[in-house]
Amino acid sequence: MKKLITAPIKFYQKWISPSFAPKCKYYPSCSQYAVDAISEYGFKGIALSIWRLVRCNPWSHGGVDYVKPRSDLKTQFNESHKNHKNLAGVTK
Amino acid sequence: MSTILNPLYYAVSWVIVTFHSILGFLVGKNSHESFKWSASIIGLVVLIRIILIPLFVKQIKSQRALTALQPKMKEIQKRYKDDRQKQSEEMMKLYREHKTNPLASCFPILAQAPIFFALFTVLNGIAKNHPHGLLKGAHLISAQQAKFFGANLSSSFLSTHTDTQTKIVTVLLILFMSATTFTTQRQLMVKGMPKMDASNNMMLQQQKIMLYVFPVIFAVSGVNFPVGVLIYWSTTNLWTLGQQFYVIKRNPTPGSPAYEELQAKRAAKGLTNPPAASAGSTEISDSANNGANKESGENGSATRQRQQPKKKKKK
Repeated sequence: MKKLITAPIKFYQKWISPSFAPKCKYYPSCSQYAVDAISEYGFKGIALSIWRLVRCNPWSHGGVDYVKPRSDLKTQFNESHKNHKNLAGVTK
Repeated sequence: MSTILNPLYYAVSWVIVTFHSILGFLVGKNSHESFKWSASIIGLVVLIRIILIPLFVKQIKSQRALTALQPKMKEIQKRYKDDRQKQSEEMMKLYREHKTNPLASCFPILAQAPIFFALFTVLNGIAKNHPHGLLKGAHLISAQQAKFFGANLSSSFLSTHTDTQTKIVTVLLILFMSATTFTTQRQLMVKGMPKMDASNNMMLQQQKIMLYVFPVIFAVSGVNFPVGVLIYWSTTNLWTLGQQFYVIKRNPTPGSPAYEELQAKRAAKGLTNPPAASAGSTEISDSANNGANKESGENGSATRQRQQPKKKKKK
């Protein structure tokens, strides 16, 4: 399923994009971000990709912006959760 | 889906109908209907592209500000000669640091897609007697008869009851679209892009193959699209070509062959060379600014970037 969604994006990258001047203000480009996001998060990745496209507007400064790996988010969440527990323990 | 797109149908049809009535004042209210409808579609393109001009000017301005960053850009290119990925990553970091980004951004291009789709639906609606937005009643009947060089605006190559004239015009328009895209891409490749090192040559080679992909895409989609949509597409392509021609002539990307040509021309005329002069001096001022930036933070570089275009105007 993920491959089915990313296939047109990959087609665009291979056959359409190279013949135009590069336009994306970010690294990795919006299309690559979409491929990464969808393979990492599935449907939620589509929302992430749309949000990235909206951010890639004439008023943005662009920059380096990778898709956050899922495991990162999990560990982040777990850590903050633990910290929260610890803090809760401290206040008790 | 149609509730989301309905306002767009109204907007697109409103623009077309308005152009149609404005042209009515100029060439006669009840005559030249074919010309008026075709010109209204072209008017829609012109209007959209005029609205986009400020964005385009903004991009050119940040491209000019780039001359100041050239020494640093060259350094990055040298350091990551063999790793194009890393090279573009570092380049984006540099742009971000200096709060300037010469790239056009993705959103405006994608934002045009719904307009294109709305025009497609509105024109298809004419052929199918299915009015969308404001193109209804007398307008619909008049538009149904409108022709572009003898081809019905609302019929396509593959639709039923298509006459030979429509087929010929469709093929000619597909050829025109391919030719304009080809010229635009060629011009960009030959003159508009910074000269590249060996690893990028591969991409250049790849681009040459791409030149032949577009005619195929145009042909496959063109036979399914109504003539009116092809007029829209052709006009957009022509506008893009003209706009790029202007940029390459007057505001070429630093480091591109066109840029060097312009420099040489200016030098030959004995004019002082503003970009070269500022590029030379910024090596010193850049390092000085970097020191200042560390103290004043991002605000320092932001004001510096904002002032840069003004400085050049004075010169």
